[in-house]
Amino acid sequence: MSTISTHLRNFKEPTKDQLTELYFALPQSVNGGVNATGGPSGAAGNANGEKEKGAEAELEKMEINAVLSLGVQGEEDSYAGKLYLLPPYLTFASHDRKSSRFTIPLCTIRRVERLNARAGVYALSLALWHGMKIVVQLTSLRPTADLFCSLLRDALKVELQKGHMKLVKGFVKTCYSELLVSNATAPDGVDEKAEAKVAESTQEGSASDSMYLGGLGLKFKFPGDPKKLREASKTKLWTNYLRTHGRNLTLLRYPQCTRLIQVGLPNRLRGEMWETLSGSLYLRFENPGYYNQIIAENQGRTNTSTEEIEKDLHRSLPEYSAYQSEEGISALRRVLQAYSFKNPETGYCQAMNILAAAILIYMSEEQGFWLLEVICDRLLPGYYSPSMHGTLLDQRVFESLVHRCLPVIHDHFAEVDVQLSVASLPWFLSLFINTILKINGEKLLKIQDDGQFIHLMREYFASLGDSAHPHSSDPRARAITRFQELLLVSFREFAVITDDTIHSERRKYRSEIVHSIESFSKRSAIRNLRTLERFSKEQAGLIYDALFKAICIEPPPAVSLPPPSLLTTKDQPEERPETRIGLKTFKIFLSEICTWARTEKIVSNGFKDLVSGLNGVMFNDLMENIEWFFNLHDKNKDGYLTKDEVLTLSESLLFIFRHEIGDAYLGAVSRFMSNAFEYGDALLPRPDGADPDVEAPPIESNQPYINLATFRMVVLADEILESFFETDFPATFRLEPVPIMDIPNSNSGLLGGIWQNIATDDNRKIFNKFTDEIGRTIGKHQVFTRPAIGKYTTLEEPKARESLLTPTMRRSASKASLVSPTDSGPEPSVSSGSLSRPSGEALSPGSGKEGASVPSSASSEFAPVPSMLQAAANAAALMERTPFAIDDAKDEEDETDDETDVEDDGVMDEVDAFLEAHDSGLTEAERELAQDLINAEPVK
Amino acid sequence: MADAASGSTERSVQVKLVLLGEAAVGKSSIVLRFVSNEFQPNKEPTIGAAFLTQKCRLEDRVLRYEIWDTAGQERFHSLAPMYYRNAQAAVVVYDVTKASSLEKAKTWVKELQRQANPNIVIALAGNKIDLVNPSAPSTSSTPESEDEADDATATPGETAASGEPESLRQVPRDEAEAYAQEAGLLFFETSAKTGEGVVEIFTEIAKKIPIDQILASTRGGQRPGAASGRTQEGGVNLEENNAKGKDACNC
Repeated sequence: MSTISTHLRNFKEPTKDQLTELYFALPQSVNGGVNATGGPSGAAGNANGEKEKGAEAELEKMEINAVLSLGVQGEEDSYAGKLYLLPPYLTFASHDRKSSRFTIPLCTIRRVERLNARAGVYALSLALWHGMKIVVQLTSLRPTADLFCSLLRDALKVELQKGHMKLVKGFVKTCYSELLVSNATAPDGVDEKAEAKVAESTQEGSASDSMYLGGLGLKFKFPGDPKKLREASKTKLWTNYLRTHGRNLTLLRYPQCTRLIQVGLPNRLRGEMWETLSGSLYLRFENPGYYNQIIAENQGRTNTSTEEIEKDLHRSLPEYSAYQSEEGISALRRVLQAYSFKNPETGYCQAMNILAAAILIYMSEEQGFWLLEVICDRLLPGYYSPSMHGTLLDQRVFESLVHRCLPVIHDHFAEVDVQLSVASLPWFLSLFINTILKINGEKLLKIQDDGQFIHLMREYFASLGDSAHPHSSDPRARAITRFQELLLVSFREFAVITDDTIHSERRKYRSEIVHSIESFSKRSAIRNLRTLERFSKEQAGLIYDALFKAICIEPPPAVSLPPPSLLTTKDQPEERPETRIGLKTFKIFLSEICTWARTEKIVSNGFKDLVSGLNGVMFNDLMENIEWFFNLHDKNKDGYLTKDEVLTLSESLLFIFRHEIGDAYLGAVSRFMSNAFEYGDALLPRPDGADPDVEAPPIESNQPYINLATFRMVVLADEILESFFETDFPATFRLEPVPIMDIPNSNSGLLGGIWQNIATDDNRKIFNKFTDEIGRTIGKHQVFTRPAIGKYTTLEEPKARESLLTPTMRRSASKASLVSPTDSGPEPSVSSGSLSRPSGEALSPGSGKEGASVPSSASSEFAPVPSMLQAAANAAALMERTPFAIDDAKDEEDETDDETDVEDDGVMDEVDAFLEAHDSGLTEAERELAQDLINAEPVK
Repeated sequence: MADAASGSTERSVQVKLVLLGEAAVGKSSIVLRFVSNEFQPNKEPTIGAAFLTQKCRLEDRVLRYEIWDTAGQERFHSLAPMYYRNAQAAVVVYDVTKASSLEKAKTWVKELQRQANPNIVIALAGNKIDLVNPSAPSTSSTPESEDEADDATATPGETAASGEPESLRQVPRDEAEAYAQEAGLLFFETSAKTGEGVVEIFTEIAKKIPIDQILASTRGGQRPGAASGRTQEGGVNLEENNAKGKDACNC
């Protein structure tokens, strides 16, 4: 059975801070935890890992208006935007959020100077690790700017103390861009902009050429023809940009950067730029050694994910030579496994193998691992989760966007019943989906079914490398590939679709998707049950709902992992995803479905076992139930209960009865105990050869004492217990869709507002159904906890009821105290109205029916007055009890058959109204009046 | 030629067929064998689903299979209804060298029988019999077969134990066949690698499908426009496929 996952329910909209972090591709604060477990993050960093956390929490975030410009005399423009201090990062975004931005770790800032420029201009010059200078002019009011500066100073101090500054040097060596820039500057060496620091790093860079991390492509060649790809000229363009605008950790993203990206990346730089632009670089920077550690820690572990990964290793870009060698395969294996160990909930999803395989051509394993992390968690949230809710959600969003932007195509698809998602799903990772539809618009309109749609799309994809204008006379036009055309159209025509649009669309459809996924998994969970036992499908569904709710409230504990050594052997069971239910969850589950929620038992298995277990409890007959209960308490399963176990059993019974009104149940249990010991002693197997007359030695409390037969006898000797096991106990398990889950258990609230709140037609029906089963169990007490069975309310023997009237009378008397505080109750105006009216016209046809039917169901000797009282009691019960309360009242003859009456809403309303008026006790005259009312013919 | 093609589409019957089964049992390979009579040792896993078509001649009728080849991994399961909706036939595939894959196949059958088109024709196919077939021990023990066999996708433990071919079988033919009979399925054991049994699946399905019903229902629908569009798009492909399809089905 697959897991029942509730994380869809727990989705929360990202906060504003989180959105900002997302925008700047910062490692999420949640991921901060990685560092704590991350191990060797540099000698200094690790030593005070705990202190770091505290310090970070204290550091204040701040944003301020600023104008960014490069500190070089160039043609570069300035950009107005916002500067954010988000320790340990300093970030900037221009106001349009597009043209310019940067994300810089504070530890790469070497020097901050206040510039002494014209008066009234408050500007800071930041010298960065790469020798580059940026100037930010703080355009806010001076006190604000001062505050920002002091916060910045504090944050920088903390970074210095943590020793992060020292880490930068080692880290940037792993980046290819360093080599690229140093190689470019070193030969000519006349670059006047190159400052001392650059020169320094250049020397080191060339000293350790081989330091930088790269992918399999370095050894196995990058795909594509370097000449065709114009690698050399791309490299030159990028080198120039990186020299002036910073690189890796300190990259400034100016519009030129975006243009260069559209031109394309040189293969050697590709990996690093992916890393930098996605922000996975910062994760790698913050968590040095984490990747190797997670690999080492999980060495040799197998689970479903690793098994699935093995299946696909040889099926990931198999045509690329690296993936025909062990080197490439094992790199792929390690990265995918590391990801699945870090994210056990996501594990491994097909398609990730292809993603990872492509990534590893351009990056090292560690880089690839962090990039995969960023892609799966941040860029494509939920795409690869077990429920694939992200994918489904975006499918829905896509469909709605098509509807909005390309209505013609949408209508056509709807007309011929083509599901867009059948085709769009596999290529959803592409960013140009809409464009594809647009470019192919004419052909799409001819499509009649799914199959043709797929064909068309496949042809289009195959032709992406072809010339867009094959017949053009201009050779340059011919060189434009269709891929470039696609890019152009997508950026030009669909610029209206921004991230914000997609976010808001996602919000719109999220619940719909979540709902459909949940109902799907419910259906398949039920279908996959080997047997429904004796439940109906609907009932199984209700069990699932109850369980699901319980899991939502109390998520099952994470499965603790056995030590890896145990799992390396093949015959050990593999870690299978499975729903385990802890005690707490089970408690909530039980309280969902039965009226006494016992807490003694731990059940730690899945839905399947719950179904079969409940099956046993709910459909057994008297004898089976007794046996079940016996076995439950027979801990060593030897067929005997010890004295201790008898006591435990009694405690269980007491626990179940703990909310019952009166002491009848208490008495039953104490009778049970004394009987049990009496029978037990009497039937005690004598030791062989012992004289039957001699008193047997007292038996140890942990020795076998009574067997099932004896237990049965003891139970059957008591009427309350017998009826408990026969009908009441199974009846306490109920599979009812309970409409309102969280009604507060307060008396006045219930009588006041709640009835009206929940009194929709539907609810009222269920409510009435409950109440009539509850019967007349309202005792003298104000009931805060609901009785579970509520059948016998006093110690007096049930069969000793001399007059069946007694309980009814008692109840109607007590009713006064119950209902009196509710004069402000539901429908006071109606009640007074019905009182003041003449009897004849006051009551609707409903009450006429009541009068006619109740006497027939009640024993004739009490009719009609008691029947009226009984209806009144019913009404009191209705008002008093929560809809949870479930009591079995079948064997009280005076109420046997009145469900039909009570279910009639009209009747109930009338009785309500009547009661309202008469709740301070009924006088004889009033009773007569009431009887008249009941017997009155409806006015035509 | 275009005329001929459109002429044949006039008479051809479209059958929507869906392939289901656990991951890496060889669903895509079976389709590839059927559609282009090829075998790729390390086929990339299917993401979402793939779509292929193939024509097949049965007596005087031409069937056009529209094959939806679905992804096998468990988490793609929730997408499956999208693909099997309105399907007239389904091939549920398991791997004879992996007992658990038959269990998964059974759940698929159960789901199809409850959720899919009520008249759906379901075939159960046990794939990879080349790995267990004693009749061809030479092929399975040659060194290069390790790279190219279906078992590239099998778990390493099984590959390691491949010295004794018969021991790889985890699902006895009798057991699967008995299950198929009980559940009312067509049953085949196949090898996408050698081609054994693949075409038979589609031929038998073709025989069992109520073609006249489909014809009647599609005539009622909006099909006529469809024909022209399709011949333009997939003309060349179909021509080739057609030839193979004829070969295959007439055997």
